[in-house]
Amino acid sequence: MAHWGQLMFQDAASPIMIQLVALHDHALTIMIMVVSLVLYMLYSILTNKFTCRTLLEAQEIETIWTVLPATILVVLALPSLRLLYLMDEISQPTLTVKTIGHQWYWSYEYSDFLNLEFDSYMLPTEELQDGEFRLLEVDHRMVIPMQTEVRLLVTAADVIHSWCVPSLGIKLDGIPGRLNQTTLSINRPGIFYGQCSEMCGANHSFMPIALEVIDHPSFTQWVMTFSE
Amino acid sequence: MLRSLTRTALRQGARISHRAIATTAVRPADASDLTIQEREQIYPKLGNRDIVGYGFNGNPVYIDREEWPAPAVRFRENTAEVQALRAKEQGDWKALTLEEKKGLYRASFRQTYAEMTAPTGEWKTVIAGLLLGLSFTGWVLIWMKTCVYPPMPRTITKEWQVAQAERMVKQRQGAVLGISSQWDYEKNEWK
Repeated sequence: MAHWGQLMFQDAASPIMIQLVALHDHALTIMIMVVSLVLYMLYSILTNKFTCRTLLEAQEIETIWTVLPATILVVLALPSLRLLYLMDEISQPTLTVKTIGHQWYWSYEYSDFLNLEFDSYMLPTEELQDGEFRLLEVDHRMVIPMQTEVRLLVTAADVIHSWCVPSLGIKLDGIPGRLNQTTLSINRPGIFYGQCSEMCGANHSFMPIALEVIDHPSFTQWVMTFSE
Repeated sequence: MLRSLTRTALRQGARISHRAIATTAVRPADASDLTIQEREQIYPKLGNRDIVGYGFNGNPVYIDREEWPAPAVRFRENTAEVQALRAKEQGDWKALTLEEKKGLYRASFRQTYAEMTAPTGEWKTVIAGLLLGLSFTGWVLIWMKTCVYPPMPRTITKEWQVAQAERMVKQRQGAVLGISSQWDYEKNEWK
């Protein structure tokens, strides 16, 4: 989750998010260089007292400032496309979880096991215990094991919702009648929060996602207690 | 079509050469041999002023611009006093008084370079307008705070936020560069 006054990304918890942060660093570096150059040029032109009345053509600089931006764009595009295709790769997931968006809660189904499904409603502000996070806590968290490839299938039951967890770099629209697939693989245990990211009605801001990531023995235990 | 007809009519009526009504640049000789009526017709705003050069685009127009020091026409008309000064200008310039030199300048030019490039003080108006806008916005914000906003949620208190920070550390939120990376889990204190 974000801390107070946070402006940049949340700390990455999955390999894809690590790569996304690196791509962002790359793009932002290029952007800062370009913007600095432009600001400098703007400043030097505006504070120059001279006038040139006979400016015409100038083939050399025209060539430079066409070729150079094209090169910069290629340098931006190549890592971006690489990551785009990397995000679409599905290897061998060990677990499949279905996420269904409703108005206004999420429901999770673990069809690999028997009868493992539950709804996840936001905890109202009045029912929060001391120190709990307003608008983020839920009654039943989605539990998955860490460092495991998990297939996530997102859909919706009524209107379009969007399942988003920023620290994993995942935002996947849940569209009625459609299954969107992605893989989750989380580096470390913890609780990762997110919020619905597609306008879905009055309580769109009040249907958060809480992902509890635990080690394998604890996960097995959780599955067993659930089925009981 | 209408324009060429008008041009032919004008030309026939005044028996003026093609050069005179052309849209190419004026030369000093162009206006000097025309009668007053012809001058009114071809150069309507010229009056009694001399054309003294090309100017900035060849049209006989007066303009004060830094980058064009020599406009195409003089600023003032050739009155009797101006003609007298011009005659005196033909002689030794040391004989001219300062007032006469200034008079000659003002006959040909509207502003000096100093007047042309002088700051206008417009920035004061702009800043005043900006501050007025900002202060109005400030009043709107005060009204919003007192009359519009609902009460703050109970999670905004200092105690709750401290409890939240503790919970974030327990949940290992921000373990890389965020809040948990500042907590020493062995010594149970902030780093």
